[in-house]
Amino acid sequence: MGSTFAGLEISKRGMSAQQSALYTTGQNISNANTPGYTRQRVTFKATEAYPYPGLEMPKIPGQMGTGVEGDTVERIRDKFLDTQYRGENTKTGFYEARSEALLKMEEILNEPSEAGLSKTMDRFWQSMQDLAANPTNSGARAVVQQRGIAVADTFQYLSTSLKSVQKDLKTQMDTTAMQVESIATQLNNINKQISEVEPHGYLPNDLYDERDRLIDTLSNLVPVKVSYPVKPGGNALKVAEGVVTVELVGKDGITGVGKLVDGANQTAASFSVGYDANGMVTSFKLDEVPDPPANTDMKTIAIGDVQNTGKIQGLVQSHGYADNGTSKGAYVEMIKDLDDLANAFVQEFNSIHKAGYNLNQFKTPPANGTGYDFFEFKSGKTGAEGIKVADIIMTSTDYIAAAQGPTPTAGDGSNALKLAEVKNGKLTALPNSATFQTFYEGMIGGMAVDSQEAERMLNNTNTLKDSVESRRQSISAVSLDEEMTNMIQFQHAYNASARMITMQDELLDTIINKMGL
Amino acid sequence: MRVTQGMLANNSLRQISSSYGRMGNLQDQLSTGKKINRPSDDPVVAMKGMQYRTNLTEVEQYKRNLSEAYQWMENSEGGIEHATQVMQRARELLLQAKNGTNSAEDAKAIGVEIEQLKKDLQGVANTQVAGRYIFNGTKTDSAPVDASGTFNPAAADYKISVSKGVELEVNVNALEAFGGKIGGAGNNLFQTLQGIVDDINTNGKMTKGDQLLSNLDEHFDKLNAERAKLGARYNRLELIDDRIGQQEVTANRILSDNEDADIERVITDLKMQESVHRAALSVSSRIIQPTLMDFLR
Repeated sequence: MGSTFAGLEISKRGMSAQQSALYTTGQNISNANTPGYTRQRVTFKATEAYPYPGLEMPKIPGQMGTGVEGDTVERIRDKFLDTQYRGENTKTGFYEARSEALLKMEEILNEPSEAGLSKTMDRFWQSMQDLAANPTNSGARAVVQQRGIAVADTFQYLSTSLKSVQKDLKTQMDTTAMQVESIATQLNNINKQISEVEPHGYLPNDLYDERDRLIDTLSNLVPVKVSYPVKPGGNALKVAEGVVTVELVGKDGITGVGKLVDGANQTAASFSVGYDANGMVTSFKLDEVPDPPANTDMKTIAIGDVQNTGKIQGLVQSHGYADNGTSKGAYVEMIKDLDDLANAFVQEFNSIHKAGYNLNQFKTPPANGTGYDFFEFKSGKTGAEGIKVADIIMTSTDYIAAAQGPTPTAGDGSNALKLAEVKNGKLTALPNSATFQTFYEGMIGGMAVDSQEAERMLNNTNTLKDSVESRRQSISAVSLDEEMTNMIQFQHAYNASARMITMQDELLDTIINKMGL
Repeated sequence: MRVTQGMLANNSLRQISSSYGRMGNLQDQLSTGKKINRPSDDPVVAMKGMQYRTNLTEVEQYKRNLSEAYQWMENSEGGIEHATQVMQRARELLLQAKNGTNSAEDAKAIGVEIEQLKKDLQGVANTQVAGRYIFNGTKTDSAPVDASGTFNPAAADYKISVSKGVELEVNVNALEAFGGKIGGAGNNLFQTLQGIVDDINTNGKMTKGDQLLSNLDEHFDKLNAERAKLGARYNRLELIDDRIGQQEVTANRILSDNEDADIERVITDLKMQESVHRAALSVSSRIIQPTLMDFLR
């Protein structure tokens, strides 16, 4: 036979359990718009039935329930979706950075347009044709000189603009590395707090949320692998999650290659980008902070050993990196192609120009091939950045060699015609005997396809990320309607428990005040 | 699937922003009139666009070169025409001088006139157009006949590029037109004419009339042959002009086909996009508002 007051206790437990459920509902509603917040739920558990089966226990027919208690307040979350989300988010980060970098490149090269290198070359070619038809006309000569300057200027502008964006990309890389480091430090701090709370039997839900939100942010920057290395000790609840270890993912997409946050040792790593002498990215550098005295060496991970995803890799692939001694990456390659093109063009153009005769040479014609260069390079420079019209051509347009040997005459424009053909002819210094036109078109075409690809992949991964995010929200996000419904449900249960107490009161009134009188 | 307000809000926002993106793209097409604004919009169109632009520039340049060629040829033709008339007059005078009936004064007068005709022909040979001697091949900066009357024509032809790989001689070969190597080494038209004058002046009448007449006729033939050659080249120039004109039209059309936006289509798309956008906005405004809270009191 149970206690007389058992009914009061049962109802009291009911009230307090429903009350905690109502508080949790309140917490959910309040945090409906908090980023990274996971809805929480109180798990109710019936308290142990009376009597507990045992030899000495009173024998009554059947067991009787003794009420309810709020067991734990749990987050409703699917870790599998987190992993999926982070996988897509890290790809999004990569393609975001890449497509943005390529977009800038397209804007700089500005083709096809009336202002690009292609048009400038066309105009230069035109001026050569005019010169060929009018070799003695000083106006035609001046136009050739000016269009030559325009060609040199365009090369220079393209090269310096590309280089300045490349410099920006480097700054962005270093900033991103600092961000990664800062997030790792924050995660380490959260790890410490979690490891202090869990052994006391509490579930630090808000810390878990904050931690997951930070890992989400981190996954956009670098490819991450998350693991839970140690079971929480002490009186930790079964559902306690424990500390996390966050690692960079290797090129196979599975293995961790370097720990950003070490859960077991409670350390976070410093993170920076390593460059070689040419300014090309070679590695990521990780070092434990705080540095234990025994471990002074910095872990250096070659760039190719880290999975090719995440914002920082997108920046690396655009800026340029060292791959077995060769520089690769969208910007370095474009700058190099531009340099190759400029060098090959100048070489070919000059060799023909040199072989021709200028107006000043008719008085005393020199031996063939002893003429002047049309283009030259600024001292100590080559390639697109250093190209300029030769000083001698700048002093007088008479030095433009329009005529051809062996007996040059002023009205002979055949060398100018040969110079005009340099644009359409093969440039010996270029691979695959490409012409200026085809090589440049190849450069623009390659860039266009890369950029289009990056944009398409960005769209794809964004769509995937959004759909995973949607599924995650479907599980974890707060629905106000649902909370309202729950609220009414808990409220009614609370009221009903209170009614039970009133009923008990009447019962006791009967026993105490009306019985045995 | 459990759906929450946040998911609806995010969805709406995403749809509206991508709708804005598409409208922005259409706006770009309308305001620039081009299908593409960056190579990555369509790499193939971009590549072709560069190629076609270059082609168009080339065609335009060849047209410019053509007008230069016309200038040369028409002026040369004019010069030769004049030279022909002058030579006809010289031939008449020579025939007249060959008559034994001329008095010494008459002969002298003929000599004086032929002298003048020779000077006129020298003037023709030294014709300048826009500061260039057009009868001196590529030596456009010096006269073929100098002050002392020595004829020293250039050998190289003046060529102008009129289409890809095609160069056309636009000058008259002065050596051919005004003689040389007729009736003896280095004999040219001016020397022949001078010979007539000298013959008349030294002898008071013609003594080498037959020889000089046959020389003059030979010069005449050569001049006519040059004129015929020039005429043939002029015909060729006109044919090329015709072809380049067609090429220009084609090049412009291809360029336009390749990269110009189809305005009717873009506007239709814009209209459609606009209505989709309105629908998206109105759906969002309806979906987001009511929650259970609004009905619980």
